Amino acid sequence: MTLLQRMDRLVYATRLDRIIFMKFQPRTFRWSPLFVIATLIAGYVMMAQITGLPDRSFFIGWLLFYGAFIVAAFLRVFGPRFTATAFHPLDERELMVKARAHASSGIVLAGFAMLGCFYMATAGMPGLWHPHMPNDWINLGFGLQALGLLLPTWIASWLEPQLATDEEG
Amino acid sequence: MRKDRIIILYNRIAVFRTERGVSRRELAEAVGVNNQTIGYLERGDYKPSLELAMKIAAYFDVPIELLFSFRRFEPVADTLRRAAAAGEQPQ
Repeated sequence: MTLLQRMDRLVYATRLDRIIFMKFQPRTFRWSPLFVIATLIAGYVMMAQITGLPDRSFFIGWLLFYGAFIVAAFLRVFGPRFTATAFHPLDERELMVKARAHASSGIVLAGFAMLGCFYMATAGMPGLWHPHMPNDWINLGFGLQALGLLLPTWIASWLEPQLATDEEG
Repeated sequence: MRKDRIIILYNRIAVFRTERGVSRRELAEAVGVNNQTIGYLERGDYKPSLELAMKIAAYFDVPIELLFSFRRFEPVADTLRRAAAAGEQPQ
């Protein structure tokens, strides 16, 4: 057996083929993205509070933040379909949902960025927190990336009508 | 938005599909959409593009206005009752 054949078998043995070829029914996540966003924020705050050496609180924050980041990536994969595969191209309804979800989340993220700029402009005032360590900025970048994954999934989940019990799926 | 401004597009896809014995999956494959989309269309949760509406009409070989309408379709039972009263043989 060649290396390529072994790798191919590994894909099927680990059931990765279900993700790669979209062999599962997309699900809607109407509430779970909100919990993930809350966890991201909590994790970020716990990490950002540390000024000296990392302590227990920092590591708990790190686990919460990056755990939520991974969950965000999974919700994206198992949520409403945004990516076409060779055997399952997106139809006109899915393309419409994808376009509306991404356009809406783009507006929300742009709004956050705008408010963030205004906040940073005043962040020199005493008592106001702002990212100052490289870690703060890196985590903020990952946080925005997680939001970029979650928001379209969340909005698309509300745009998708609920399946009736008699639907074939 | 006022409720009377929401335009509802009624359709008889489920009636034609049942009459012809076609599953959602078969219809979806024939017109090139996901079978969930057929379910949403039948329930009126999604308004199709003109292209998709014409593909579905062509699949059932009927004029598009027999499948889609802005006015509620007459129930099949009423149509049969009216045809029977007029002495027609329902087809």
